Amino acid sequence: MIVAGVDIGSLTTKAVILKDDKILSWHVMFTGTHGAEAANKTVGEALREAGLSLGSVDYIISTGVGKLEASFSNEQVGEILCAVRGACWLFPSVRTVIDIGAENCRTIKCNENRKATQFDLNDKCAAGTGVFLETMAAMLEVRLEDMGKLSMGSNSDINVNFSCAVFAESEVISLVHSGISKVDILSAIHKSIASRVYLMVSKMGIEKDVVVAGGVAKNVGFTAALSQRMGSELLVPQEPQIMGALGAALVAEETSR
Amino acid sequence: MKQMKDKRYAPELSPQDVQSIRETVGSASLKLMSESIDKMKAMPNRAQGMAYFDEAANLFSKRQDEIQAHKDAGGRVIGTFCTFVPVELIYAAGAIPVRLDSGIYHTVDIGEEILPNEVCPVVKSSLGTKIVQSSPYFELCDATISPSTCDAKTKLGEILEDYLPVWMIDLPRGRDTAQSKGFWVAEVFELKKRIEKFCGQKISRKSLKSAIELVSQAQKAFCRLHDARKASMPVIMGRDAMLAIQALFNDDIERWTRKTEELCNELDEHIAMKRKGYDAEMPRMMLAGSPIIWPNWKVPNIVEEAGAIIVCDELCSGVRGLYDPVRVDEWTMDDMLTAVAERYLLPSTCPCFTPNDNRANRLLQMVEDFKVQGVIYHILRGCHTYSIEFMRIKRVLERSNIPIHRIETDYSQEDTGQIKTRIQAFLEMVKESII
Repeated sequence: MIVAGVDIGSLTTKAVILKDDKILSWHVMFTGTHGAEAANKTVGEALREAGLSLGSVDYIISTGVGKLEASFSNEQVGEILCAVRGACWLFPSVRTVIDIGAENCRTIKCNENRKATQFDLNDKCAAGTGVFLETMAAMLEVRLEDMGKLSMGSNSDINVNFSCAVFAESEVISLVHSGISKVDILSAIHKSIASRVYLMVSKMGIEKDVVVAGGVAKNVGFTAALSQRMGSELLVPQEPQIMGALGAALVAEETSR
Repeated sequence: MKQMKDKRYAPELSPQDVQSIRETVGSASLKLMSESIDKMKAMPNRAQGMAYFDEAANLFSKRQDEIQAHKDAGGRVIGTFCTFVPVELIYAAGAIPVRLDSGIYHTVDIGEEILPNEVCPVVKSSLGTKIVQSSPYFELCDATISPSTCDAKTKLGEILEDYLPVWMIDLPRGRDTAQSKGFWVAEVFELKKRIEKFCGQKISRKSLKSAIELVSQAQKAFCRLHDARKASMPVIMGRDAMLAIQALFNDDIERWTRKTEELCNELDEHIAMKRKGYDAEMPRMMLAGSPIIWPNWKVPNIVEEAGAIIVCDELCSGVRGLYDPVRVDEWTMDDMLTAVAERYLLPSTCPCFTPNDNRANRLLQMVEDFKVQGVIYHILRGCHTYSIEFMRIKRVLERSNIPIHRIETDYSQEDTGQIKTRIQAFLEMVKESII
């Protein structure tokens, strides 16, 4: 049985193709302004890599903010459910899922039956999500994919509290002007996001094991800061971005079984 | 403008400005109300008895003409806030009470010109409504009674003194000690004197007794409506029940009681015949937290449009207002007044009180009685007392394996999409746990 999951996020769209509970292929691309088109292309690319066509897929489930735009999907499923299914498939011992995308941060608690028991989402503010990191990288003139590794070189204990993504820019500028190194500022930024996320999770009560996924989990500086703040090891999937799409594919598998 | 010198808070607005804002607010509110009513009407099998409440809940309905006629005949109209004003005293003095807590979106900005950003939208909207005179019921009030509940409501009373006579009634912080009870009873005795003087009419034993009777009839009708929502095959959507309840904010109490009884007769018939009604598979939700005041139907609309049903609430805009009838042992004036006072204080679960232990117990009881499958905890931004108690309520409910989710919002409509996402995710989670 071949199934597909597509996760149409605010910044990127992810697709995963499963065959008999094994990942055949996956693909990630920018969503752009046209969610439907991105969904089409991403699934198309993933299928091409697997050497399959849309006709051979038994069931497709879409998720993410743009889930309704994937007109070819058989069903739309919420992001919380997909995150939990994806995390439990990758790490059966998971009890807390932290999923940080471009504009959303979700914290979820789940049980041994792969069911969510509690969840929380970030409010309107974007300080603590992917777009915020992107803005900060641009301001400090480093590449997004480098900022995590770079910040690991810092041993400063500067703490900043970014309560707002917009004001954070001026705060960072003043840090730059006061002669603090880029590396230390990056480290402070990661610690600040880690604190925000920690607060969200701790309100639910932290239960091990903890999985961190979503695009932001690719940033090693952030995951290290979060692990330190939480005082616990974190499990990070090899491809943290596709966990939601994987979850959608797993739900598709369950549904069509 | 000379008068403005004496004003402590009121902004300077020309009559022309007031009129033009009032017109904009009026048409926006009418639109908001009719949109929600249309959504509620669109539900299949809606009770016919709701038609009356659709009209009665209209904030610009003909009811104001009746109240005007009462005033023309020399009668008084007294505004109330929160759920602590003993309306029995107002009725006993031949006056009409109207509740002034506002759910109008478009006057929040106006209230914000005076109030800090951090204040909740109920208070901002209520004040804004007075500034631009956009609520006919508020305009009909000769005075208002303002209980000192939360900080914002307490100061609201003070600000409103720029516009009309306001009588603050002090609430004790505690509720369970003899001192606090004595303090509150004394406040109610004082209030009686003020109302008598203002209305130019003595409250007699007879008039108070019949006012108690009048209110308790309404409570009985209300309790029937409340009970109808326990049916395992739902016969009334939560929004409909909430609308009917809130129509009493302004409506003639006797007519409201009659119409509510009629509605309940219709619902009871549905229950007995096991016919019509709504999908029994809908997740059964409870609304808890900050008040949800018509026409602020944002959250209830989202919840019920996402396929759930609100089977009960613990909101002070809803079921809490009518709990527990007055219990009188001896029909002496003192006993009656004490009994009236106690009815407002003792059963209250308002988080303004501390300790507030009975709130959690009350919620658990409702969860059991109404077979609640999930609780949506609504917090209005700036409503600190409800926000603080969330952690405690959450803990209690989770110990009983009842999922709870916190929604923080205000009177703006920009976050509708975001709340929808949250509620859909919550319902998905609840449904999974039911299976």
